[in-house]
Amino acid sequence: MGNAVIRTEHLTKVYKARTEWEFSMGHMPTRRQYEATRALSDLNLTVEQGEIFGYLGPNGAGKTTTIRLLLDLIRPTSGRAFIFDMDANAQSVDVHKRIGFLPGELNLWKNRTARQVVNYFAQVRAGANAGLILRYAQELAERLGFNMNKPVRDYSSGNKRKLGLILALMHKPDLLILDEPTSGLDPLMQQTFNQLMLEVKEEGRTVFMSSHVLSEVQAICDRVGILRRGELKAVESVSKLTHTDFRWVTVRLKEPVSVDTFKGIEGVSDVSAVNGELRFRLTGDFDPLLRALSQHYVVDLHTQDPTLEEIFLAFYGDQPVRNHNNDAAVKEQVQ
Amino acid sequence: MSVGLIFGDTLRQNWRQILYWGGGLGLLAVYVFIAIPDMNALQQYANLVKALPPAILEAFGMSDAEMLATPDGFIIFGVFSYGILIMAVFAVMAGMGVTANEEDDGILDMVLSLPLPRWRLVVEKTLAYLVIAVGIVAVMFIALAVGTNFSGLEIREQVHLDIMAKSAINLLPSVTLMITATVFAGAFFRRKAIAMGVVAAFIIVSYFMDFLAEVASGALSEFMKAASFFTYFNSEGVMREGLNFSNIALLLGVSIVLFVASIWAFQRRDIGA
Repeated sequence: MGNAVIRTEHLTKVYKARTEWEFSMGHMPTRRQYEATRALSDLNLTVEQGEIFGYLGPNGAGKTTTIRLLLDLIRPTSGRAFIFDMDANAQSVDVHKRIGFLPGELNLWKNRTARQVVNYFAQVRAGANAGLILRYAQELAERLGFNMNKPVRDYSSGNKRKLGLILALMHKPDLLILDEPTSGLDPLMQQTFNQLMLEVKEEGRTVFMSSHVLSEVQAICDRVGILRRGELKAVESVSKLTHTDFRWVTVRLKEPVSVDTFKGIEGVSDVSAVNGELRFRLTGDFDPLLRALSQHYVVDLHTQDPTLEEIFLAFYGDQPVRNHNNDAAVKEQVQ
Repeated sequence: MSVGLIFGDTLRQNWRQILYWGGGLGLLAVYVFIAIPDMNALQQYANLVKALPPAILEAFGMSDAEMLATPDGFIIFGVFSYGILIMAVFAVMAGMGVTANEEDDGILDMVLSLPLPRWRLVVEKTLAYLVIAVGIVAVMFIALAVGTNFSGLEIREQVHLDIMAKSAINLLPSVTLMITATVFAGAFFRRKAIAMGVVAAFIIVSYFMDFLAEVASGALSEFMKAASFFTYFNSEGVMREGLNFSNIALLLGVSIVLFVASIWAFQRRDIGA
């Protein structure tokens, strides 16, 4: 730890208001009006070498915008991004030599086989020295149980994800930028993915990944940052965050009970009734709740861990950003 | 990264287009030869066409009906005047293949995450499509030369292959212009549908301006003639006077400007949605 691999300085992206016309055969052109959107606001973020950094937030929070800015696919309205101390825009070609990227939705040439795509990417990356890359790509394909001989159009979404992972990992990049890497992977493959990421970390390489999966983030991430409405709300170590003390509880009772019955119970909040079930948030011990439930006939009861976003909100609510990077924590006030 | 890798890959993926488009145009040439069995039939056809108003004649790419009475004139009318319109469709499809298709399909995100400057993608792919255009025209010319065997001896003896070769070469500057115009539209506009609409409008308006200039008069006619790139294609002029190098220079000059503008536009804008 100690060397910043990714560093952003007041990175902001505003999409301008625009009007678009859509044309389709047999229909009148339709006009779509898009308002100006502040997709990312004054992002100050540092990701250190050798860590696995989870980047979290609900849809539309700005995660993909951040990733696209880091890759120079889009340009910032203001601010700058540095990767390996190189400007992500001005030195993008040098930066990309050291990056592996997996987009949220992998799109490739549908008529080519995975092997042809892998060969092409290896050639672009290494030219005549593509052999090493191709050998490792084959090794990755075997570990992921992936057959590279089919046309891309014939792969399921899970297999496309595997192909994306192979393309991102095959040249052993110093930095992996992964957008929702495990969506579509079965649990067994998720374990393989976790193992691969831990190997990357052991080799001193860095992973920057967006995710919604708590178990995945808990298993592999060192730190997480959460975005809401384009603003970085907090950066925190996973171990600290996951020691949170609440969960969601759903109870089905034989006889209908008023929501108010549960509102006074110690630790219970956010009570709602949905489809004959009561759902609420329980903070602290179960005992007060179990004592209250003993007055009723309980048909079913189950608990659910909070999502990371919920944990973050429990921690910070709508407070300004808290970035616990290191001892020299960045404490920027988001506008 | 190896120079020419994207160029080679684009050629590998698209070389069949040379056969499809070149073969299609070649079949058109063969059909034209079959349609003119002898000089008498040609003269009858020319007499029929003479009755048409000049603007209609111009719409079919010919201003002098008398030329249709010659085998060379009839082939230029039948093959190259339609050929440029068919090649316009190819040019738009090829130009869209440089950036617009892959951007619209979301493939460009992966491609541009590679250590690859954006300008290089535009340059190498455009050059590959220009080579394909040359290939198509070459296949078309070969088919045309072979096609002379399908006409009668009288016609065959009067066809000048050197004029046909010049007419085939004369297609290329206009096709280059249409390809680079499409590349520019694809590089400038993020939406493929808009890019395609703009370039289609450019070609169609140019085409109509070229033949409507015949019925217009004075300064308007002059302006319409000058503004339409079809004026500089002028396949009839090639038959009479050979290749017009100032026209070729103008078309290629505008193509270069559009090509440079494409690189500039693509280099500076956001990619994708």
